[in-house]
Amino acid sequence: MSYEHLIVERHGPVGWLINNRPEQLNAMNSAMRDEFADAWNELNEDPDVRVIVHTGAGRAFQTGVDVTEIATDGVGFERYRQSVEDWDLHFTSWHQHVWKPVITAVNGICAGGGFHWVADADIVIAASDAQFFDPHVSVGQVVAIEAIGLMRKMPAEAVMRMAFVGRHERMSAQRAYELGMISQIVDPPEKLRDVAQELAETIAKNSPAAMAATKRALWGALEHGLTDACREGAKELVGMWGHPDQGEGPAAWAEKRPANWQPLEP
Amino acid sequence: MEGRAAIVIGGYETLDVHERDGVGWLVFDRPEVGNAMDATMLAELERAWAELDADPSVRVIVNTGNGDAFQTGLDVKQLATDKDALREQSRRTRDATLKLTAWHCGVRKPVIAAVNGVCAGGGLHFVADADIVIASSTATFTDPHVSIGQVSAYETIGLVRKSPMESIVRMALTGRHERITAERARQLGILSEVVEPERLRDAAAELAAKIARNSPAAMAATKAALWGALESGLTDACRAGSQHLVDMWGHPDQAEGPLAYTEKREADWVPLETESDA
Repeated sequence: MSYEHLIVERHGPVGWLINNRPEQLNAMNSAMRDEFADAWNELNEDPDVRVIVHTGAGRAFQTGVDVTEIATDGVGFERYRQSVEDWDLHFTSWHQHVWKPVITAVNGICAGGGFHWVADADIVIAASDAQFFDPHVSVGQVVAIEAIGLMRKMPAEAVMRMAFVGRHERMSAQRAYELGMISQIVDPPEKLRDVAQELAETIAKNSPAAMAATKRALWGALEHGLTDACREGAKELVGMWGHPDQGEGPAAWAEKRPANWQPLEP
Repeated sequence: MEGRAAIVIGGYETLDVHERDGVGWLVFDRPEVGNAMDATMLAELERAWAELDADPSVRVIVNTGNGDAFQTGLDVKQLATDKDALREQSRRTRDATLKLTAWHCGVRKPVIAAVNGVCAGGGLHFVADADIVIASSTATFTDPHVSIGQVSAYETIGLVRKSPMESIVRMALTGRHERITAERARQLGILSEVVEPERLRDAAAELAAKIARNSPAAMAATKAALWGALESGLTDACRAGSQHLVDMWGHPDQAEGPLAYTEKREADWVPLETESDA
């Protein structure tokens, strides 16, 4: 497929999804919003893609909804009312039920709605000069979905501080690392894509089926209380028993060779 | 801080309540007993939160303590000598209808806890239930409940939702024999800023001033969405959150915000509706 506002690439077993409206700091207009849905599906359905990296072109990673479009096209937020009211969103990997590992590589500014892709990624790394802030309440908008997701995954106070301080303060990559919002800082920043590719290739060595079941178990766990989450997780655990990878993994390990995994069923 | 003098909001015996530059201050004021909560303070807290939340001149609330301690929980001396005075509180504890904190009292404005010293036991309610927490470098956190044969539940349950769990359970089980330092609490993300003791109130006022520049209505809806999210699973929480998002659409602040931004001026926000208007 071809895209106007995104770049989709493949490098070995790694699928890349690159936000590509650099002059608008990768803000999401409605066309880009639609393209995200297609791009996630394309990478999810490609059996050669084992891991997905999501990053941005230019000096920003993502800065949320394109406010210029909202302010000038005469339709504004009303365009999105139905999909938000119906909780029918399709622009992140979590929305699209992508069960392959997703790495978000934050290459610069991540603001407001940009946090959707931090909250919904499995792994997040960032360039050392990345900056995080949430200006919603400074321009009269409510913070909800992104912060709700982040609060499940990291200390909540930091998320609420960003939500209420708005554009009057920024969080550094260093603080994001301390808080566990991201797991790696890449310095110098120019090495971010190399490091992301390397990390993705490392992850691609693991069993696709086992990773998909693991991902379903861990994200599913955010839906429930602890005991129910474990009960649901046990189904994923047992669901893998009898899968060829389950025999191949220990055999390859004993024979000191790379495992020959089954591709993920689409 | 520059600015006009504080306006004292009177009528409180155990709290120092005042307003200054759009910031409402709720200050524990029983320094001689580590700001422990007696029956009077328990009653006054409920009234003070309601008064500050309803006061249209208040945009943000800071909660701190006078003296060396922030807050050390229930007044154990009164508990031991005058059980009747705390009977109502016992009932509320049993029924989970406490009215100590901003969260208990349904406060819609952002609340900053500025922890000025030791925060022990029931004092942790005010850390767990604040939106933002900052602390003096001398602040410490400890939960002595189990060391005096009491159960730790509400405060630590709240903290476990918001912070790495191991640190909270360790605090609950080591009781009075260990303390978390302000710096460790910052590392763990229990709080976001540590300042020198003499700078604490200025730091809180500066942070509050930044927050006071944002849309009151958007912040109230954000607060409802984020705290509400702790009540349910992720998808249900997002679904409920999306309602808070959409409910703001059409509010005057929603148009004023982008407009002020493009015109490079401070936004002129609509004050938060009081409960009676809503």
